Amino acid sequence: MEKKATLLKKTSKTFLLTGLVLAFLSSVALYFYTKYLLEDEVKEALYSTELRVESIIKNGATHYDLPPVIVVNEVAVLGRDVLKDTIIYDPSEDEMELFRELSTYKTINGKNYQITVRNMIVESEDFLIAIVVSNSIIFILAFIFLFYFNTTRNLQLWSPFFKNLEQMKRFSLTTKEPLELVDSDVLEFSELKNEISLLTNKVRTDYENLKQFTENVSHEMQTPLAIIQAKIDNLINEQEINDKQFEQVSSIQKDIQRLKQLNKRITTLTKIDNNQFINIENVSLTDLVSEKIEDFKELQFANLVYTSKNELSVSMDVFLADILINNLISNAIKHTKQNEEITIITKDNLLVISNFGEKALAHPENLFLRFYRESDTNQSTGLGLAIVKKICDVYDFKISYKFEETHHIFSIDFSK
Amino acid sequence: MKYLIAEDELDLQQSIVTYLQRDGNICEVASDFGEASEKAAIYDYDVIILDINLVTGSGLDVLKTLKKEKKKAGVIIISANNSLTDKLEGLDLGADDYITKPFHLAELNSRINAVLRRGKYGGDEIMEFNEIRIDTKSRTAYVDGIVIALTRKEYDLLVFFISNKGRVLSKEIIAEHLWGDNSDLLDNFDFIYVHINNLRKKLTPQSAKYIKTAYGSGYKFIED
Repeated sequence: MEKKATLLKKTSKTFLLTGLVLAFLSSVALYFYTKYLLEDEVKEALYSTELRVESIIKNGATHYDLPPVIVVNEVAVLGRDVLKDTIIYDPSEDEMELFRELSTYKTINGKNYQITVRNMIVESEDFLIAIVVSNSIIFILAFIFLFYFNTTRNLQLWSPFFKNLEQMKRFSLTTKEPLELVDSDVLEFSELKNEISLLTNKVRTDYENLKQFTENVSHEMQTPLAIIQAKIDNLINEQEINDKQFEQVSSIQKDIQRLKQLNKRITTLTKIDNNQFINIENVSLTDLVSEKIEDFKELQFANLVYTSKNELSVSMDVFLADILINNLISNAIKHTKQNEEITIITKDNLLVISNFGEKALAHPENLFLRFYRESDTNQSTGLGLAIVKKICDVYDFKISYKFEETHHIFSIDFSK
Repeated sequence: MKYLIAEDELDLQQSIVTYLQRDGNICEVASDFGEASEKAAIYDYDVIILDINLVTGSGLDVLKTLKKEKKKAGVIIISANNSLTDKLEGLDLGADDYITKPFHLAELNSRINAVLRRGKYGGDEIMEFNEIRIDTKSRTAYVDGIVIALTRKEYDLLVFFISNKGRVLSKEIIAEHLWGDNSDLLDNFDFIYVHINNLRKKLTPQSAKYIKTAYGSGYKFIED
């Protein structure tokens, strides 16, 4: 999955990036513009000095020299005017310096002169650097201020959004708590809030209706089932039926039993959803497991081995505790052959049930889904483990499944 | 015995009547709330089988009237609603038992018998079938006055048989009676045969003969 950044980080990043680019571009532009202005000024100064020298020579000064700034030479032939940068020795500073140099050729009073005027430009470079640096500092300061201001303001602006997002994360169909959404003076946020309210309310009512429907259906099925059951019970007491008919009627009886179980389990699931099990008390799972094992042993399941390391006591509804243990053990029994061992261990806040299995489940992630079956060898309703999961969810118990060393292992962690 | 069956599903009502009449009991029926309240108030019955969800009213109200009139009838509530609160409410109001739809008629019959025993013998709770005598209070069975040591399941099985004497009990019905919901864990009911054989061995040869095999895989408790 693509890496996600928070909204504020992302907007800050954009802000920082545009700021940096702007600072750089403006510094560059400022540099070149100032440089152009300075060069222009130097050029103008050179031309004006040259004119002054020309006028001095015209007025009769035979020789006018001020090396290296002004050099006047008499030449035989006139050349072309040249404006360039040059490095020459400056005796006053006793080093090589960079000069801007203008050489012009003029005929004054009948003589040909080459007039060269120069201007040192080292200082102007320093000047440029100073401009760029101060510009950058101003920029950085403005930037820090803006960034701080922007972030605080953004946080304030987005706060209703974040609060509502937090609420939505907490939204659950099973708890009846209403969402406490915050309104905002920002139109979009206000609209978003209204839409969330509408949507969650709709989802809730739909869910309630569906739950109601499921419960009603399973409830309504009970009457016809009761009639079928009663009629079959009378049928097997009729004189006229024979062995074969009895066999068939008994087989119908088995299917009725399955439907009864299915109905019962759907009702149980719906009731857990509806929070109808509210009697929380301390249930000794150690005792409960022992009792269950006795019950199952009467059903000829003698392959249950129970080890209790510590007394395990859990706060929950007794009825649900019974279903929880019953379904887990039944599940293990259903997938175990008569002679294979099922081990049950209770210790501090932990219940572990494991049974032998030849291979791991192909889709363990679906194990707790309603009506999920990986094999159709036994006539299970596919709801037993879904109920187990539901019960664990109600009380925040952590249930896990793993396949290890040819054993299916279910464990429930009751610690909170 | 005289029964009132207050159930608005006529098919179910008639099936219950048919099953109970086999023992020569008198069964009257009520098909709605008005009829049920009226009959319960006017006549005396040994046992009233009362559906909670009568279309025109609640069976619990009939129960309240019965208790107000201080009627002696035993009451068994039948309901499609298996919620614990309803169960408790019904029992708190003075019902003797509660059974959830769908149920086996043999199971209902067994419960009726239990209610009758408690009402009739005033706490003695004795069941008899020829030389077999069962004290249901102490859960002890005697044959010819001698105690026989039965396991819990064997005892339940014997009581179930005697309650439904003369009727065929399929292995499915027996399994459900003895093990309830967990009976669906069983791939086959072979071990019911084991339980029945053990029970037969503990009874005298004469009383063991009462348990007869009916059809392919059913049992019937009957005198020769």
